[in-house]
Amino acid sequence: MSADLRAVTTLDRLIHEPARLLIVTILSSVASADFLFLQRETGLTKGNLSAHLSKLEEAGYIKIEKTFKGKFPLTVCKLTSVGQKAIKAYRQQLQSFMDKTN
Amino acid sequence: MNNNFSDVEQRVRRYWYIDGFGELVGGGGMCLILAIYFAAGQYFGDESFFGGILQASMVLVLIGGVVLVRRLVNAAKARVTYPRTGYVEYSEPKNKVVASVLSAAVGIVMAVTFVFIVRQFNKIDGMVAISGLVMGIVLFAKQVWSVRVKRFYVLSAASIMYGGALAVSGLARGYNLGLFYALMSLSFAISGGLTLKKYLDENPLQTELGNER
Repeated sequence: MSADLRAVTTLDRLIHEPARLLIVTILSSVASADFLFLQRETGLTKGNLSAHLSKLEEAGYIKIEKTFKGKFPLTVCKLTSVGQKAIKAYRQQLQSFMDKTN
Repeated sequence: MNNNFSDVEQRVRRYWYIDGFGELVGGGGMCLILAIYFAAGQYFGDESFFGGILQASMVLVLIGGVVLVRRLVNAAKARVTYPRTGYVEYSEPKNKVVASVLSAAVGIVMAVTFVFIVRQFNKIDGMVAISGLVMGIVLFAKQVWSVRVKRFYVLSAASIMYGGALAVSGLARGYNLGLFYALMSLSFAISGGLTLKKYLDENPLQTELGNER
Protein backbone atom coordinates (compact mmCIF):
# COMPACT_ATOMS: atom_id res chain seq x y z
CA MET A 1 0.00 0.00 0.00
CA SER A 2 1.41 3.40 -0.97
CA ALA A 3 2.08 6.08 1.65
CA ASP A 4 -0.63 8.23 0.02
CA LEU A 5 -3.26 5.57 0.61
CA ARG A 6 -1.92 4.72 4.05
CA ALA A 7 -2.53 8.32 5.12
CA VAL A 8 -6.25 7.57 5.34
CA THR A 9 -5.63 5.24 8.28
CA THR A 10 -4.44 8.20 10.34
CA LEU A 11 -7.80 10.00 10.06
CA ASP A 12 -9.42 10.90 13.38
CA ARG A 13 -11.74 7.92 13.83
CA LEU A 14 -13.87 9.67 16.40
CA ILE A 15 -14.88 12.25 13.80
CA HIS A 16 -14.73 9.89 10.82
CA GLU A 17 -17.87 8.02 11.95
CA PRO A 18 -20.66 9.42 9.64
CA ALA A 19 -23.14 10.46 12.35
CA ARG A 20 -20.46 12.16 14.44
CA LEU A 21 -18.99 13.82 11.34
CA LEU A 22 -22.40 15.30 10.58
CA ILE A 23 -22.84 16.49 14.19
CA VAL A 24 -19.39 18.10 14.27
CA THR A 25 -19.88 19.69 10.81
CA ILE A 26 -23.18 21.23 11.94
CA LEU A 27 -21.66 22.50 15.18
CA SER A 28 -18.64 23.92 13.33
CA SER A 29 -20.92 26.26 11.35
CA VAL A 30 -22.79 27.71 14.36
CA ALA A 31 -21.91 29.10 17.78
CA SER A 32 -24.16 26.48 19.43
CA ALA A 33 -27.16 24.28 18.67
CA ASP A 34 -29.56 22.35 20.85
CA PHE A 35 -30.36 18.65 21.00
CA LEU A 36 -33.66 18.99 19.12
CA PHE A 37 -32.03 20.83 16.22
CA LEU A 38 -29.23 18.26 15.98
CA GLN A 39 -31.74 15.41 16.11
CA ARG A 40 -33.78 17.01 13.32
CA GLU A 41 -30.78 17.73 11.10
CA THR A 42 -29.06 14.37 11.57
CA GLY A 43 -32.19 12.20 11.55
CA LEU A 44 -30.82 10.16 14.47
CA THR A 45 -32.94 8.77 17.30
CA LYS A 46 -32.67 10.40 20.73
CA GLY A 47 -30.70 7.49 22.16
CA ASN A 48 -28.34 7.29 19.22
CA LEU A 49 -27.68 11.03 19.15
CA SER A 50 -27.18 11.05 22.90
CA ALA A 51 -24.57 8.27 22.65
CA HIS A 52 -22.64 10.10 19.91
CA LEU A 53 -22.75 13.38 21.82
CA SER A 54 -21.43 11.64 24.95
CA LYS A 55 -18.46 10.25 22.98
CA LEU A 56 -17.68 13.67 21.55
CA GLU A 57 -18.00 15.25 24.99
CA GLU A 58 -15.70 12.65 26.56
CA ALA A 59 -13.07 13.42 23.92
CA GLY A 60 -13.38 17.14 24.75
CA TYR A 61 -14.62 17.98 21.25
CA ILE A 62 -17.93 19.43 22.40
CA LYS A 63 -19.35 21.05 25.52
CA ILE A 64 -22.91 20.26 26.58
CA GLU A 65 -24.89 22.65 28.76
CA LYS A 66 -28.40 22.30 30.14
CA THR A 67 -30.14 25.64 30.13
CA PHE A 68 -33.53 27.31 29.74
CA LYS A 69 -34.93 29.56 27.02
CA GLY A 70 -37.90 31.06 28.85
CA LYS A 71 -39.73 28.07 30.36
CA PHE A 72 -38.35 25.69 27.78
CA PRO A 73 -35.45 23.41 28.79
CA LEU A 74 -32.62 23.19 26.28
CA THR A 75 -29.61 20.92 25.95
CA VAL A 76 -27.17 23.14 24.11
CA CYS A 77 -24.08 21.74 22.39
CA LYS A 78 -21.06 23.77 21.42
CA LEU A 79 -17.82 22.81 19.68
CA THR A 80 -14.78 23.42 21.89
CA SER A 81 -11.49 24.81 20.55
CA VAL A 82 -10.14 21.23 20.60
CA GLY A 83 -13.14 20.14 18.50
CA GLN A 84 -12.67 23.03 16.09
CA LYS A 85 -9.02 22.12 15.55
CA ALA A 86 -9.94 18.45 15.12
CA ILE A 87 -12.58 19.05 12.42
CA LYS A 88 -10.26 21.48 10.61
CA ALA A 89 -7.43 18.95 10.64
CA TYR A 90 -9.79 16.17 9.55
CA ARG A 91 -11.06 18.17 6.58
CA GLN A 92 -7.54 19.09 5.50
CA GLN A 93 -6.34 15.50 5.86
CA LEU A 94 -9.29 14.10 3.91
CA GLN A 95 -8.95 16.76 1.18
CA SER A 96 -5.25 16.02 0.86
CA PHE A 97 -6.00 12.29 0.58
CA MET A 98 -8.63 12.93 -2.11
CA ASP A 99 -6.25 15.20 -4.05
CA LYS A 100 -3.50 12.59 -4.02
CA THR A 101 -5.72 9.70 -5.05
CA ASN A 102 -7.65 11.53 -7.82
CA MET B 1 -16.10 16.58 -0.54
CA ASN B 2 -15.93 20.28 0.30
CA ASN B 3 -19.30 20.66 -1.44
CA ASN B 4 -20.87 18.22 1.01
CA PHE B 5 -19.47 20.14 3.96
CA SER B 6 -20.65 23.48 2.56
CA ASP B 7 -24.09 22.00 1.77
CA VAL B 8 -24.50 21.17 5.46
CA GLU B 9 -23.27 24.64 6.45
CA GLN B 10 -25.65 26.32 3.97
CA ARG B 11 -28.54 24.26 5.30
CA VAL B 12 -27.76 25.34 8.84
CA ARG B 13 -27.58 29.01 7.77
CA ARG B 14 -30.92 28.70 5.95
CA TYR B 15 -32.53 27.54 9.19
CA TRP B 16 -32.83 31.19 10.30
CA TYR B 17 -35.36 31.73 7.46
CA ILE B 18 -37.34 28.51 7.99
CA ASP B 19 -40.20 30.13 9.94
CA GLY B 20 -40.60 33.39 7.99
CA PHE B 21 -40.22 35.56 11.13
CA GLY B 22 -37.21 37.29 9.57
CA GLU B 23 -39.44 38.65 6.80
CA LEU B 24 -42.74 38.91 8.68
CA VAL B 25 -41.43 40.78 11.71
CA GLY B 26 -38.01 41.91 10.49
CA GLY B 27 -38.62 43.03 6.89
CA GLY B 28 -42.31 43.81 7.34
CA GLY B 29 -41.82 45.70 10.60
CA MET B 30 -38.77 47.70 9.51
CA CYS B 31 -40.36 48.71 6.18
CA LEU B 32 -43.57 49.71 7.99
CA ILE B 33 -41.58 51.97 10.32
CA LEU B 34 -39.87 53.60 7.31
CA ALA B 35 -43.20 53.92 5.44
CA ILE B 36 -44.75 55.81 8.37
CA TYR B 37 -41.58 57.87 8.81
CA PHE B 38 -41.44 59.11 5.19
CA ALA B 39 -45.20 59.65 4.86
CA ALA B 40 -45.24 61.62 8.14
CA GLY B 41 -42.25 63.68 6.96
CA GLN B 42 -44.09 64.60 3.77
CA TYR B 43 -47.34 65.32 5.66
CA PHE B 44 -45.75 67.74 8.13
CA GLY B 45 -43.38 69.26 5.56
CA ASP B 46 -39.62 69.89 5.83
CA GLU B 47 -40.03 73.41 7.27
CA SER B 48 -42.45 72.48 10.08
CA PHE B 49 -41.46 71.74 13.69
CA PHE B 50 -42.46 68.04 13.46
CA GLY B 51 -40.78 67.74 10.05
CA GLY B 52 -37.54 69.02 11.61
CA ILE B 53 -37.82 66.58 14.51
CA LEU B 54 -38.42 63.71 12.08
CA GLN B 55 -35.41 64.64 9.95
CA ALA B 56 -33.18 64.98 13.01
CA SER B 57 -34.33 61.63 14.39
CA MET B 58 -33.68 59.59 11.20
CA VAL B 59 -30.67 57.75 12.68
CA LEU B 60 -32.53 57.09 15.94
CA VAL B 61 -35.54 55.74 14.04
CA LEU B 62 -33.30 53.37 12.06
CA ILE B 63 -31.25 52.16 15.05
CA GLY B 64 -34.32 51.92 17.30
CA GLY B 65 -36.21 50.07 14.57
CA VAL B 66 -33.41 47.53 14.09
CA VAL B 67 -33.11 46.92 17.85
CA LEU B 68 -36.90 46.58 18.28
CA VAL B 69 -37.29 44.30 15.28
CA ARG B 70 -34.38 42.07 16.38
CA ARG B 71 -35.90 41.70 19.85
CA LEU B 72 -39.30 40.85 18.38
CA VAL B 73 -37.85 38.26 15.99
CA ASN B 74 -35.88 36.60 18.81
CA ALA B 75 -38.93 36.58 21.08
CA ALA B 76 -41.10 35.05 18.34
CA LYS B 77 -38.49 32.40 17.57
CA ALA B 78 -38.09 31.52 21.27
CA ARG B 79 -41.84 31.02 21.57
CA VAL B 80 -42.62 29.31 18.25
CA THR B 81 -39.54 27.96 16.47
CA TYR B 82 -37.18 26.65 19.15
CA PRO B 83 -39.74 24.35 20.82
CA ARG B 84 -40.69 22.90 17.42
CA THR B 85 -37.47 22.47 15.47
CA GLY B 86 -34.68 23.45 17.83
CA TYR B 87 -32.44 26.29 18.88
CA VAL B 88 -29.41 27.58 17.03
CA GLU B 89 -27.09 30.43 17.92
CA TYR B 90 -25.14 31.72 14.95
CA SER B 91 -21.49 32.76 15.09
CA GLU B 92 -20.46 36.30 14.28
CA PRO B 93 -18.74 36.41 10.87
CA LYS B 94 -14.94 36.59 11.23
CA ASN B 95 -14.50 39.34 8.62
CA LYS B 96 -17.56 41.37 9.65
CA VAL B 97 -15.83 44.79 9.43
CA VAL B 98 -14.30 44.12 6.00
CA ALA B 99 -17.63 42.81 4.67
CA SER B 100 -19.52 45.84 6.04
CA VAL B 101 -17.04 48.33 4.53
CA LEU B 102 -17.09 46.53 1.17
CA SER B 103 -20.91 46.39 1.12
CA ALA B 104 -21.14 50.10 1.95
CA ALA B 105 -18.60 50.99 -0.77
CA VAL B 106 -20.43 48.91 -3.40
CA GLY B 107 -23.76 50.45 -2.32
CA ILE B 108 -22.41 54.02 -2.61
CA VAL B 109 -20.88 53.36 -6.07
CA MET B 110 -24.14 51.81 -7.28
CA ALA B 111 -26.24 54.66 -5.87
CA VAL B 112 -24.01 57.37 -7.44
CA THR B 113 -24.05 55.60 -10.82
CA PHE B 114 -27.81 55.24 -10.64
CA VAL B 115 -28.35 58.89 -9.68
CA PHE B 116 -26.26 59.88 -12.70
CA ILE B 117 -28.41 57.69 -14.96
CA VAL B 118 -31.81 58.79 -13.60
CA ARG B 119 -30.85 62.48 -13.74
CA GLN B 120 -30.95 62.17 -17.50
CA PHE B 121 -34.72 61.82 -17.17
CA ASN B 122 -36.36 64.85 -15.53
CA LYS B 123 -39.69 63.30 -14.57
CA ILE B 124 -38.21 60.36 -12.69
CA ASP B 125 -38.01 60.49 -8.88
CA GLY B 126 -34.51 59.09 -8.49
CA MET B 127 -34.70 58.50 -4.73
CA VAL B 128 -37.48 55.93 -4.81
CA ALA B 129 -35.98 54.23 -7.87
CA ILE B 130 -32.60 54.00 -6.07
CA SER B 131 -34.28 52.63 -2.94
CA GLY B 132 -36.01 49.96 -5.02
CA LEU B 133 -32.86 49.06 -6.93
CA VAL B 134 -30.58 48.95 -3.88
CA MET B 135 -33.01 46.86 -1.83
CA GLY B 136 -33.56 44.59 -4.84
CA ILE B 137 -29.82 44.07 -5.31
CA VAL B 138 -29.25 43.45 -1.59
CA LEU B 139 -32.04 40.83 -1.52
CA PHE B 140 -30.75 39.24 -4.74
CA ALA B 141 -27.16 39.15 -3.43
CA LYS B 142 -28.36 37.66 -0.13
CA GLN B 143 -30.15 34.92 -2.05
CA VAL B 144 -27.30 34.11 -4.44
CA TRP B 145 -24.27 34.32 -2.13
CA SER B 146 -25.63 33.68 1.32
CA VAL B 147 -28.92 32.07 2.26
CA ARG B 148 -30.14 30.55 -1.03
CA VAL B 149 -33.80 30.92 -0.15
CA LYS B 150 -35.71 31.13 -3.44
CA ARG B 151 -38.47 33.48 -2.25
CA PHE B 152 -35.87 36.26 -2.01
CA TYR B 153 -35.82 36.34 -5.83
CA VAL B 154 -39.50 37.37 -5.79
CA LEU B 155 -38.92 40.00 -3.09
CA SER B 156 -35.92 41.33 -5.03
CA ALA B 157 -37.96 41.61 -8.25
CA ALA B 158 -40.87 43.23 -6.34
CA SER B 159 -38.53 45.86 -4.85
CA ILE B 160 -37.11 46.87 -8.25
CA MET B 161 -40.60 46.86 -9.80
CA TYR B 162 -42.15 49.04 -7.04
CA GLY B 163 -39.21 51.46 -7.19
CA GLY B 164 -39.45 51.77 -10.97
CA ALA B 165 -43.23 52.17 -11.02
CA LEU B 166 -43.31 54.76 -8.21
CA ALA B 167 -40.45 56.72 -9.79
CA VAL B 168 -42.72 57.68 -12.68
CA SER B 169 -45.92 57.98 -10.61
CA GLY B 170 -45.64 61.73 -10.05
CA LEU B 171 -46.35 61.49 -6.30
CA ALA B 172 -44.51 63.78 -3.87
CA ARG B 173 -41.14 62.31 -2.80
CA GLY B 174 -42.10 61.59 0.83
CA TYR B 175 -45.34 59.83 -0.16
CA ASN B 176 -43.46 57.99 -2.91
CA LEU B 177 -40.94 56.61 -0.44
CA GLY B 178 -43.66 55.99 2.13
CA LEU B 179 -45.69 54.01 -0.42
CA PHE B 180 -42.60 52.11 -1.57
CA TYR B 181 -41.79 50.97 1.99
CA ALA B 182 -45.47 50.23 2.68
CA LEU B 183 -45.59 47.97 -0.40
CA MET B 184 -42.33 46.28 0.59
CA SER B 185 -43.67 45.83 4.14
CA LEU B 186 -46.77 44.16 2.70
CA SER B 187 -44.67 41.95 0.41
CA PHE B 188 -42.41 40.88 3.30
CA ALA B 189 -45.46 40.25 5.48
CA ILE B 190 -47.14 38.09 2.81
CA SER B 191 -43.92 36.15 2.12
CA GLY B 192 -43.21 35.68 5.84
CA GLY B 193 -46.83 34.86 6.64
CA LEU B 194 -47.06 32.14 3.99
CA THR B 195 -43.71 30.70 5.11
CA LEU B 196 -44.83 30.72 8.75
CA LYS B 197 -48.11 28.98 7.88
CA LYS B 198 -46.26 26.27 5.94
CA TYR B 199 -43.76 25.89 8.78
CA LEU B 200 -46.49 25.55 11.44
CA ASP B 201 -48.38 23.01 9.30
CA GLU B 202 -45.26 20.92 8.78
CA ASN B 203 -43.97 21.19 12.36
CA PRO B 204 -46.71 20.80 14.97
CA LEU B 205 -45.63 21.34 18.58
CA GLN B 206 -44.65 18.06 20.25
CA THR B 207 -46.66 17.21 23.35
CA GLU B 208 -43.48 16.16 25.15
CA LEU B 209 -42.00 19.25 26.81
CA GLY B 210 -38.44 20.21 26.13
CA ASN B 211 -35.65 18.42 24.34
CA GLU B 212 -33.56 17.08 27.13
CA ARG B 213 -31.64 14.01 26.25
